[in-house]
Amino acid sequence: MEGCLELIHRVPGATPQLDALEERTLIRQAQRGDRAAFEQLVRLHEGGVLRLALQMVRSEEEAKDIYQEAFLKIYRSLGRFRFESRFSTWMYRVVMNVCLDHLRRAGTRREVQAPESEPGQAEFFHTLPEERPALNPERALQGREVQRRIQAALTRLSPRERLVFELKHYQGMKLRAIGDYCGTSEQTAKNCLFRATQKLRLELKEIA
Amino acid sequence: MNCKTVEDKLTFYLYDELEAGERAAVAAHLEACAACAAAARELERMRAVLDQRPRREPSPELLVRSREALDEALDREAESWRALVRSWFIVPPGVSALRATAALTILVLGFSLGWTLRTRVPAAATGNGSGQAPWVGSDLSNLRISGVSQVAPDPQTRAVRITLDAQRRVVLEGSFDDPRIRQVLLYAMKNYDNPGIRRDTLEVLGQSGNNPTVREALLYALRRDPNPGVRLEAAEALQALDWGPDVRQALLDVLREDQNAGVRVAAVNVLVEHADENVLPVLEQMAAGDPDTYVRLTCARALRERAREDF
Ligand SMILES: [Zn+2]
Repeated sequence: MEGCLELIHRVPGATPQLDALEERTLIRQAQRGDRAAFEQLVRLHEGGVLRLALQMVRSEEEAKDIYQEAFLKIYRSLGRFRFESRFSTWMYRVVMNVCLDHLRRAGTRREVQAPESEPGQAEFFHTLPEERPALNPERALQGREVQRRIQAALTRLSPRERLVFELKHYQGMKLRAIGDYCGTSEQTAKNCLFRATQKLRLELKEIA
Repeated sequence: MNCKTVEDKLTFYLYDELEAGERAAVAAHLEACAACAAAARELERMRAVLDQRPRREPSPELLVRSREALDEALDREAESWRALVRSWFIVPPGVSALRATAALTILVLGFSLGWTLRTRVPAAATGNGSGQAPWVGSDLSNLRISGVSQVAPDPQTRAVRITLDAQRRVVLEGSFDDPRIRQVLLYAMKNYDNPGIRRDTLEVLGQSGNNPTVREALLYALRRDPNPGVRLEAAEALQALDWGPDVRQALLDVLREDQNAGVRVAAVNVLVEHADENVLPVLEQMAAGDPDTYVRLTCARALRERAREDF
């Protein structure tokens, strides 16, 4: 699990990892309202947070919003951190919740646009004309088209499936760590990963 | 291991999430079974396709903009009433919660109208620059306050000055654990004019645990606050409370009666985490009948997600 957490935290040019005592000292200073100490904590994790946000929402503007919203929430609730878990785990739980909120809102925006008579999201998207272009296989394999398909397929996952899939496939985290980060069980994370891969397999069948 | 079992485990096999024994068993089956081996190759191809998605590195420019946005938010935060309220709940390591909160000082100044005091404390102690006698630790259980005109934090002393419409100038000192102090805060929350401050206060109180005053304040704000933003904040803050029939009832009432669709959606989001036989029928009813499309879709989606996952 340690190794997996590393992945998400490894940021080029970031401050090197603190040892446990240094981190504890910083957190306590930040809890007493020391803004410089809080900013140091932010510097340690901001690269990972921003990269994750950018993977999830794709728009820089929205990634920035996630960054701001998440760290502000962390700042506000820092007083409640009791050193019962790793700080990074506690912190990423907040980040994950903010990401989930953004994905939910994006999903609702999409659903609202969908005609209500459509039985489900997947079906709705398949009826969009540009989703089923009469492309020849070579054309379909062109990078841009492939990437558009991947993005569309990921967007069709439920927010939770999407989050778990991003953390597993793109961040290489272990399911147990993902469960910790999302404040849920390993089993639930496992179910999400399973559903996500099933859906993606169907969605990407033609280009895989 | 049979084909069905292997099929179910294939995803976890490829993502390296199986125990050594299971892993070996799946590997052995794949050696022997062409159909499963083909399925594994298909899944591998899908994973390879997904790897073609470029990793997006945050640009230095994005990092700078994000830091600036956070900085601004933290600046606003430092000036806010919320920062002071929050500081009451931060317990320095090694100090008991009671001692920490005992340091809280609230000054209630500038009474003008309608404050009915029935206090046993002699009106004699230190003057507070007003020429009027202050009460210290007054018995507030019978107080009626006609209004709150200002809540002003003082960042220097970390005290809060609450200006009430009442008749006399009074100084109150006490800890947040003191029910009388809580009563003043609760009152301020119900009556303070500025919805931004009510919202900030609620958010912080929502983080302060399960005491009955906070619970009362949140439920009150959820049902009664005239400002939808404050009601929204109350709905979110309720998630920190122990679940109970009072919370459930308040949320169900909001879902059925609140005029604001955003507040109804917030109520759904909390209710769905505790969807029992009291809640599900209302969600179903709203999924079909709420006047707002967004609320209907949120209810429907909550029911769908509820039906297939427990996360
Ligand atoms: Zn087989």
